Amino acid sequence: MPEVAEASNEPPAIGKPRKGLFFNPYTQIGLSIVLEAATEVFLKKGAHDSVTQIWLGFDGLRSGWVWLGIIAMVTSLFSWLYSLKYVPLNIAFNLAGLVQVLVPIASWLILGERIGLTRACGIALVLAGVYTVARPLMKVEEKL
Amino acid sequence: MTPLAFILVLVSESCSAAGQIFFKHAMSGREGNTGLKLTAGVVVKALGFFLWVGLLSKFDLSYLYPFDGLNRVVLMFAASIFLKEKMTLNLWVGVGLICAGVLLVSRS
Repeated sequence: MPEVAEASNEPPAIGKPRKGLFFNPYTQIGLSIVLEAATEVFLKKGAHDSVTQIWLGFDGLRSGWVWLGIIAMVTSLFSWLYSLKYVPLNIAFNLAGLVQVLVPIASWLILGERIGLTRACGIALVLAGVYTVARPLMKVEEKL
Repeated sequence: MTPLAFILVLVSESCSAAGQIFFKHAMSGREGNTGLKLTAGVVVKALGFFLWVGLLSKFDLSYLYPFDGLNRVVLMFAASIFLKEKMTLNLWVGVGLICAGVLLVSRS
């Protein structure tokens, strides 16, 4: 879940990004999305290893995975904020919706979770919904 | 998913959304105490985060993550309540799709 609120705070596209593939804003959006998915995988691994209390995961802090997740989350946020300086908001938000696909794929490939037909259909519906509200949500959020 | 777990998911998503809005207001330099807004943002964000980690220890990631879509639903309703924003047809369709998807996932 890339940080949606900060988006509207950014100034409109001004100037050019530095040269090089790494500084390409679209590379940074991609990086932000991948790191976002990685965050969830790391947190899941950490939570799985460590949380003993019932509902609040403070115990997760004893797991290195959770700290890795926090680092990935913060790095993802910086990539996201950087790319928003150069990439039109609606393109950025549409790309950000890809996290909803990437996380289940990573859950399956890396964590070995099984995704049945029902769950896959549910994920598809959520994705469709996220895309449907992406544009109006951007406008509404600027005012919140 | 039990009703309690579902409520905790909603609380976690609401905290996360509220945290973003606090951060945004703190950074925009509008009237009010910036330090207080930042602190409030950090506190609710952290609460949302730890609830999420707690939930992750109970459920599959591919099961729990789609519920993150509810973040948008929370923001929509916050906008319609606090800003009296009109809910357009598009928004209702999107909210409906997200809720239907989450319902399906919850039964998987």
